Amino acid sequence: MSRVWLPCGHYHQSYAKDQGWWQTPVIKLKMLLLLGIVLLGVPLLLPGYWIGVCTMIGYTAMGALGVQLLIGYTELITLGHGAFIAVGAYTSTMLVLHFPWPQPLVDLGLAYPLTIVAAGLISGIWCVIFGLPCARVKGFYFILTTIAAQFITVDLILTQYVSKIGGRAQSIKIPSDAARIGPWAMTGDVKPYLLMAVLLILMVMVTANLLRTKRGRAWMAIRDNDIAASTMGISVFYHKLLAFFVAGAMAGVAGAFWVSNTSAMSPEHFPWYLSLKLVGVILIGGIGSIHGAVFGAAFWVLVGEFLQMGVLPLAEYWPNVLMSFTFLKTAVFGLIICAFLNFEPHGLAYRWWQIKNYFNLWPFSY
Amino acid sequence: MELFLMTLVTGIMVGGIYALVALGWVVIYKCSGVLNLAMGEMTLLGAYISWNLYQSGVPFILCVLLTMIIGVILGIVTERIFLDRLIGQPLLSVIMVTVGLSFFYRGTAMFIWGPSTKTFHPPVFPQESIHVGMLSITPVFFWSFLVVIALLIALMAFFKYTRWGLSMQATADDETAALSLGVSVRFVYAASWSIAFITSGIGGALLANINGLNITISHLGLVVLPAVIFGGLNSIPGAIVGGIVIGILENMTGTYVTQFVPGGIKTIAPFIFLVIFMMFRPYGLWGWERIERV
Repeated sequence: MSRVWLPCGHYHQSYAKDQGWWQTPVIKLKMLLLLGIVLLGVPLLLPGYWIGVCTMIGYTAMGALGVQLLIGYTELITLGHGAFIAVGAYTSTMLVLHFPWPQPLVDLGLAYPLTIVAAGLISGIWCVIFGLPCARVKGFYFILTTIAAQFITVDLILTQYVSKIGGRAQSIKIPSDAARIGPWAMTGDVKPYLLMAVLLILMVMVTANLLRTKRGRAWMAIRDNDIAASTMGISVFYHKLLAFFVAGAMAGVAGAFWVSNTSAMSPEHFPWYLSLKLVGVILIGGIGSIHGAVFGAAFWVLVGEFLQMGVLPLAEYWPNVLMSFTFLKTAVFGLIICAFLNFEPHGLAYRWWQIKNYFNLWPFSY
Repeated sequence: MELFLMTLVTGIMVGGIYALVALGWVVIYKCSGVLNLAMGEMTLLGAYISWNLYQSGVPFILCVLLTMIIGVILGIVTERIFLDRLIGQPLLSVIMVTVGLSFFYRGTAMFIWGPSTKTFHPPVFPQESIHVGMLSITPVFFWSFLVVIALLIALMAFFKYTRWGLSMQATADDETAALSLGVSVRFVYAASWSIAFITSGIGGALLANINGLNITISHLGLVVLPAVIFGGLNSIPGAIVGGIVIGILENMTGTYVTQFVPGGIKTIAPFIFLVIFMMFRPYGLWGWERIERV
């Protein structure tokens, strides 16, 4: 599905070339242009509010990438991935605020980057623990253990025992200069955005590369048929746990990023709704495609923004609309998910692929 | 001892409501294979509708009947619009369409009725507690339990003795065979959603009488999941037993464990139990173990 049609005269002469990212110079140029837009164009041209919106898109996409890896590439349906984002966020917050960092590290501004790594590791291990039942159960039964992961992690442990520091089930204040990378404190709109862009690009590259390795092919074999995969000598249990570790680590990094974008950490940032939203995002974007996760995140966040802009003029006549806007948004997203499943089951990524192919041969498509 | 008995009785009575909702869940699963995560929001809708009727002066019994009728209509409409195309699709699509539905219902209900807690006023059930031996039972629990039992018996009779119920049983057993014998499977799907709307609506209305009516009622939809897993997904008696067991478990945890582990352990306990239970008996007490072939 994701294969690009090559222009006339281009042939692959080796497997390595066939698997290459940039199959023609034009694609490489386009990607460099995209990189320029993401790293320079957006922060320089957009107003502050829309940079914040882009940051939200990136945060959603980072969370959705892990879900994409589990659902789209290993067929492990997870409805509790928000829990692992929460674990990452809390690990990072706790380490930044309470860990006795040596003074030289703090001066160099390395404390926060190190907590991002730690958050990834701890979140990955936490994810593996909740992935253990996949050895015995599959399908719906497994989905239930992921739901249980959400409630045990966020509603019990984080709400009742971790957030208790500073009062039961309250938010933890994060000073605005707590998250520092090198000389820059993560304040304002642009710096968190740039951090997000770098992390998201890294994560997309890691995912895309992992999927080209032996492990990645094993995951896809398990997705297509796990019994057949095990007869081919793939250790299903090991590879499933590996997928959990990688997906959990991605969620942890996303959560650790959230520390730089918020002034207070609260369990309310990670409700079950977040986990369901991430699955909705990859459904809208397209299951089994990396850019689907990004498209879906962009669609989800932008639809919310445009809905808000559309509703604002109505508020004069009907103040209730603005008061219960969150609920209206929830209802609309529910309808969107249902509509995508019914009418566009391959998601936005498939439509994008079709459009690209159409213009590849345009105007002589015969 | 008295505390233990009280907890047990309350647990059984709350568990009755869980059992009712779990029954609706299992009916959908058996008839159409849809794993429904929108059950909680269906209880929310039913509870709000019956509250609205009651506040506009309708007697409670009539409220319950009207909620059932509206539930039937909602069930048919939901099935026709959202689920008709998705029967037989992969697990993820079917589950996510119910997640989408749950967003939609929750958003709509909260948009119409608002997030504040509503109470049934004047109270539906008498306030003085009923004394049986050394036990004193809150009448809300007692009457709710009676309503639940009556509804369960009515549904059992429906499945066993009516033509529609028998056609639903036939479809649950073997869809292809039922089709070849002239059972309208589309009717069965719609009927199963209607029954689920009825049971969840009534369950929600009863629970709203006990706890007050706000968004937390939709937690019922999640508690149902451990219940059906415990009994086995394919088993209607299993759902009833599972519901009652989860009710007892929840109340026992609330009484005995909360003092050691403060906080929300009471609501989480069914899920912890679920994870441990699934390690040992993943297919529940009476569920079918599925044998997979390549």
